[in-house]
Amino acid sequence: MKQQVGPKVNGVARQILVDTRAKLAEVLRDELRLTGTHIGCGTGSCGACTVLLDGKTVKSCCVLAADVDGCEIMTVESLAEPGELHPIQLSFAEHHGLQCGFCTPGMILSAFQLLSDNPTPDETEIRHAISGNLCRCTGYQFIITAIQAAAKKLNNEAVE
Amino acid sequence: MISAEFRFETPKTVAEALAVLEAHAGECKVLAGGMTLLPMMTLNLLQPSVLVSLNHIPELSGIEESEDVVRLGAMLRHEAVHDSSVVRVRAPLVSLAAGSIGDVQVRNRGTIGGSLAHAEPAADYPCATATLEARFRLDSQSQHRWLSAGEFFVDVMTTALAPDELLTQVEIPVSSPGAGCAHMRLRRVEGAFPIVVASSIVEPGYRRARLGLGGVGARPIVLDVTDELRDGLAPAALAKIGDRAHAAADGALDDLNASSTYRREMARVYSQRAVRAAVSNMHTNSGEVPK
Repeated sequence: MKQQVGPKVNGVARQILVDTRAKLAEVLRDELRLTGTHIGCGTGSCGACTVLLDGKTVKSCCVLAADVDGCEIMTVESLAEPGELHPIQLSFAEHHGLQCGFCTPGMILSAFQLLSDNPTPDETEIRHAISGNLCRCTGYQFIITAIQAAAKKLNNEAVE
Repeated sequence: MISAEFRFETPKTVAEALAVLEAHAGECKVLAGGMTLLPMMTLNLLQPSVLVSLNHIPELSGIEESEDVVRLGAMLRHEAVHDSSVVRVRAPLVSLAAGSIGDVQVRNRGTIGGSLAHAEPAADYPCATATLEARFRLDSQSQHRWLSAGEFFVDVMTTALAPDELLTQVEIPVSSPGAGCAHMRLRRVEGAFPIVVASSIVEPGYRRARLGLGGVGARPIVLDVTDELRDGLAPAALAKIGDRAHAAADGALDDLNASSTYRREMARVYSQRAVRAAVSNMHTNSGEVPK
């Protein structure tokens, strides 16, 4: 069955005809071609599909696309202009916060939400904030370093 | 993509939702946060022919308070419950339980009503709400009724909800000022589902003390441990509480995560930890959960 939904995606109002069985992650990738949102487990464990729904991180494999009418969705693509990197993305690159890159969009959005809510998190708070995102490459330590560096960068920007 | 077809309904009011439930009683599943239901449907463990989303019904996300109780709308997300200043001050155990569920993303989407209606034995809310003697409001088109935890939780993942009924509110009696509370969970890694949970609330001066256990039986187990604590938190009192928890957990199930014997031992350990932690934060302030 198909259903019309009208979410705002990365600031742009959309009208999309979706299969009621489709996950938000699938529609973002297949219909809107926003392939930065990755699909790992499909059952809410890995966090690779993390997006912001009405300003809060959710796993978009556990949200039906037909259920986001009137909602605001933000994906990793909106963090920076094409060709540019958000300070969090830059920090991940500089501090080896990724290897294969599969978990990275979800990690970065979880970090983005953390730093929006709490600009100066300690290491424990960072670990809690990314506990819904699995990474099988880095062992997490470099990701934590990257988020700490991003926090510094963002706070310096805020001062300037 | 979920493989089985279903009809998807997005009612805007409780009345509309109840009408859908009435019309399709028995073939409907109610979608709240979807943190368990959608994975189950993805894995084809469930194939409802009608799915009713409650995500567009603002009236289900309210927090009401009176002198004696706090009433939480069924669609409040875990994070909203955890963060609510009303819940932190007046029912801190519920805030603690909400804050310990899953991970950030799950707490942002999952709901108190969804978790309670799912009635997973080791889940946080069933244990905490049963410990606090909460009541559950069930609405259908023809009536509404209030059930106690003892009446609401029937068996593993089974509640008293009839096919045409919706859990709309949870009523929590306000905790006495200065009461200490704690919510402890045994889990293997951060974010993992708990194997055993224990909740406790102890009123100032040990006037009244209760202990709840989850994951060690089909339904939450609640023990009144006022007598054991009559002379305060002595080692003998804790030993007795542990023994009672162990005895009460005799229906603990074996599964992939833990044997029944292990769960019973952990009921002993976690009940003692929960009571000790509840006592340690008794009196200190209004009982408010630290941010």
